[in-house]
Amino acid sequence: MRGLAETATAAAGYAFPNDLHIHWSLMIVLYPYITGIVAGAFIVSSLYHVFKIKSLEPIARFSLVFAFAFLACATLPLLNHLGHPERAFNMMVTPSSTSAMAGFGFIYSAYAIVLILEILFIYRPTMVALKDMSTGFMQKLYNVLAIGSDNVSPESLALDHKIISFLAGIGIPMACILHGYVGFIFGGVKANPLWATPLMPVIFLLSACVSGIAGIIVTYMIIMKVKGREVDLECIRTCIQYLWGFFILDFVFEMLELFSHAYMATHHWETLHELYWGPLYVSFWILQVLVFSVIPFLILTWMNLFRLGDTLVRIFAPLVSLMILFQVLLMRWNVVIGGQLMSKSERGSVYFHPEWLEKEGILPALLIMVLPLVILYVLSKIFPFWLEDDPVASEPTAG
Amino acid sequence: MKDIQAEINKGRRAFIKKVLEGTIAGSLLLVIPAGAMDIPEQITGMREEDGPFIKKKKFAFIVDITRCIGCGSCCVADKNEYNVPDGHYRTWVERYVIDYDDNVYVDSPNGGLDGYQVPREDVPEANVRDTFFVPKLCNMCEKPSCVQVCPVGATYQTDDGFVLIDQKRCVACSYCVQACPYSVRFINPVTKTADKCTWCYHRVRKGLLPACVNVCPVQARLFGDLNDRESQVYRILHEPHVISVLKPGMGNKPSLHYVGLRREVV
Amino acid sequence: MQPSYRSKYNTHVIRIIVILVVLAIAGIGVRAMMIPESFGRYGHYRGEAVVDEMNREIRNGTNASCLPCHPYIKEMHFSGIHKTVSCEFCHGPVAAHIQDGKVIDKLPKKQGEAIKTLCLRCHNQIIRARPRESIKMVEMPKHLEDKKVGIDHTCDQCHNVHAPLMWVKQAKAMMGVVEEEAKQ
Ligand code: HEC
Ligand code: HEC
Ligand code: HEC
Ligand code: HEC
Repeated sequence: MRGLAETATAAAGYAFPNDLHIHWSLMIVLYPYITGIVAGAFIVSSLYHVFKIKSLEPIARFSLVFAFAFLACATLPLLNHLGHPERAFNMMVTPSSTSAMAGFGFIYSAYAIVLILEILFIYRPTMVALKDMSTGFMQKLYNVLAIGSDNVSPESLALDHKIISFLAGIGIPMACILHGYVGFIFGGVKANPLWATPLMPVIFLLSACVSGIAGIIVTYMIIMKVKGREVDLECIRTCIQYLWGFFILDFVFEMLELFSHAYMATHHWETLHELYWGPLYVSFWILQVLVFSVIPFLILTWMNLFRLGDTLVRIFAPLVSLMILFQVLLMRWNVVIGGQLMSKSERGSVYFHPEWLEKEGILPALLIMVLPLVILYVLSKIFPFWLEDDPVASEPTAG
Repeated sequence: MKDIQAEINKGRRAFIKKVLEGTIAGSLLLVIPAGAMDIPEQITGMREEDGPFIKKKKFAFIVDITRCIGCGSCCVADKNEYNVPDGHYRTWVERYVIDYDDNVYVDSPNGGLDGYQVPREDVPEANVRDTFFVPKLCNMCEKPSCVQVCPVGATYQTDDGFVLIDQKRCVACSYCVQACPYSVRFINPVTKTADKCTWCYHRVRKGLLPACVNVCPVQARLFGDLNDRESQVYRILHEPHVISVLKPGMGNKPSLHYVGLRREVV
Repeated sequence: MQPSYRSKYNTHVIRIIVILVVLAIAGIGVRAMMIPESFGRYGHYRGEAVVDEMNREIRNGTNASCLPCHPYIKEMHFSGIHKTVSCEFCHGPVAAHIQDGKVIDKLPKKQGEAIKTLCLRCHNQIIRARPRESIKMVEMPKHLEDKKVGIDHTCDQCHNVHAPLMWVKQAKAMMGVVEEEAKQ
């Protein structure tokens, strides 16, 4: 039926009659994708704020706002997916202690609070300065964002700094929990052999870091290009390093999961084998593994083992990041949709092709993916992302 | 005479309305909708049960696949009872065909709703070693994974062992659909909530057999009280029979039992 | 030179803490209001949901529910070999026919070819999955050829749909064939 569960077509063997529906379609592909980007972007800023990777300074604040823009949209695919979105708060009103899904509302809210607070604290001196420089509505807005305080004395900033470190500190485990937990929503479904693996949260987490870093690189370089400014190549080189590191782990774990399934060859492997070499062949082997994992991996290795010239970095950094963004999206697709393509009858699989105009179709998915960028644009009018636009950034105490 | 009857009916409707609106609180559980009482009780003693849950009886459901003729009466009755939207199945009947090379072929066109009128074309008749029907329905697990994963407490297990769905709280997140190892759940496109076989809880509470059991012409579906040692289900489950459950390895402990189940059946 | 500020050095921190506390209290309050009254009465679910489920409309009756009004069919059906077959399987649910003891609509009855399809749903020998102990089956069109009639005959021309052996027996009796087993 339209709208609630999309119809799949039988591929091979016998699928249970109720399994001819894909209940979790594009929206649930986007949901871990977006939360993953949020978690990954946050990790980038933490690398600067907590682990003191100085070369990441130009993008440290940007990645926080970037994370927020995506976080603001993370619930949209879920709400669009629910049959009764008006009852969504039931999840927080009567959460079931045994359900892996019930915690999402709480973890999400807690994480949102930490993220918002961190942004507010980091930007507070800037907000105070901008308040004095603006008039009318913007002045009121900056006043609210500075939480009505104009105190930027060293004493006050020192307090802020402590709080920022604390928030960034607890933010890391929370980002990990947020996304590891999303992985567990899938990993805890014992009825689905593709999902039910303890590696699932780990894979989700690593791919989250990867997609966050890649997302930051791409948007940063595009914005700089549009603004006609110089990209900080040292920063990009550091990002590429981390991207490489996380991607190695991510890719290895993804393959390890498949390998151990194949090696242990329980009765599930037969079904999984059918799946990987049947309905998932193109999207998994060709696209996810070959085109968007092996090639980026080779490029990244090359970029990290040799010191490339600036022009090459300018070309390959966004390219490889884009490819990795696709890799993660494909991985979400292959996990979320792939898991539903094999029937629980253990002897059949189905095909699924999303429609454009369904309630959970491609068009709504595109809209939801564009929305964070729109939000980011609006936020850019309020929060100066880049140090050179910031009236207080030149002072050494800031940030 | 007609007038009196009409008057009674009017009174009864008014009464039910009052109850539904909650003016007569507490007596809710005793309400029996119009019509049900006219039908003789099939499960004796059920109409005396008036607590929130069934106390004296412990129900078991047995499917005897050595008897099933695949007529699909159960599927038809089930669809009629619940107005199940097309393409979704609270219960369905599968046909298994096993050939001499041990290949297993299974099909269930439209869930068996239209019956089986033609043999499978892709398996040569002479090569068929074994063939049989397997009806499927909710397994009413003792440890239901759907209840475990429901985030809002909309799918629940009653004290009398039924796994039911609260249509007013379900958000239709489909997590239970994913979690059910037996694929008996679906999202009902009309109510936009999760839906599944309830072993006809509403009928059972009013002393009637589940709709599918009631219509089965060959007694392939049996429903009865395990506390009654004379009952057919008690005898079947406690006498030597080939009895098993589906996917025992899942650890869900189904309380739906199959007589004569073959190992090919998943 | 220390500039003078209107706010204290920690004003914003205190405000944030106050806002968070207010939000938390409001959240807890709203949540308490939103929990249905009977939630948790028997377990982690809405107790009244059991009542809702119980009060679902019964749409299928039983064979007994047709008796009071169709005495003639009753006599045939219940004394015939088809007594285990459900009226509602062949005719549809009683709820579509009777409401509050009154007829609201006619139930459909199958005619002609549709009857044949109906009978063969249970009696077609070609479907080998049917256990012979459960049901007797016929091979089509052999069954008709054996009887030396055209193969376009429908089943109800020789079998009473409600008691399929009734006329067969009558015919046998008329022809002096003795019924060995008193099956009916
Ligand atoms: C309250 C009495 C009553 C009950 C109970 C009842 N019926 Fe009827 N039924 C009638 C009446 C009266 C008619 C004739 C309606 C008409 O001709 O308009 C009828 C008509 C029918 C017809 C159509 C006959 C025709 O010639 O088209 C069928 C089939 C039928 N009933 C089946 C059933 C079945 C099956 C049940 C049990 C599930 C049932 N009825 C229960 C009163 C009843
Ligand atoms: C095997 C399927 C089957 C079952 C079971 C069955 N019927 Fe019928 N019934 C038919 C068919 C087919 C017709 C129409 C053919 C005919 O009139 O001979 C029919 C006709 C009728 C009619 C109309 C009779 C007339 O003279 O026109 C009534 C009333 C009826 N059924 C009631 C019942 C009731 C009550 C039961 C259960 C006790 C029942 N049927 C069970 C198949 C069935
Ligand atoms: C829902 C399945 C079903 C349908 C539909 C059905 N029958 Fe039957 N029929 C049975 C069952 C079950 C028996 C055997 C009952 C028994 O042995 O106790 C039976 C018995 C018979 C018998 C007697 C067989 C014997 O034991 O000698 C005949 C004849 C028969 N049916 C004819 C018909 C005809 C004609 C129709 C179509 C109007 C029909 N059946 C429709 C289920 C069905
Ligand atoms: C020409 C009349 C005639 C027609 C038409 C007819 N039958 Fe029969 N059928 C009989 C007779 C007579 C018997 C008695 C047993 C026998 O002699 O085979 C019988 C027996 C049966 C039996 C019991 C078989 C057994 O092994 O005891 C079934 C089942 C049956 N018929 C089903 C059908 C079905 C289904 C149809 C319609 C597709 C049908 N019949 C059409 C005359 C007919």
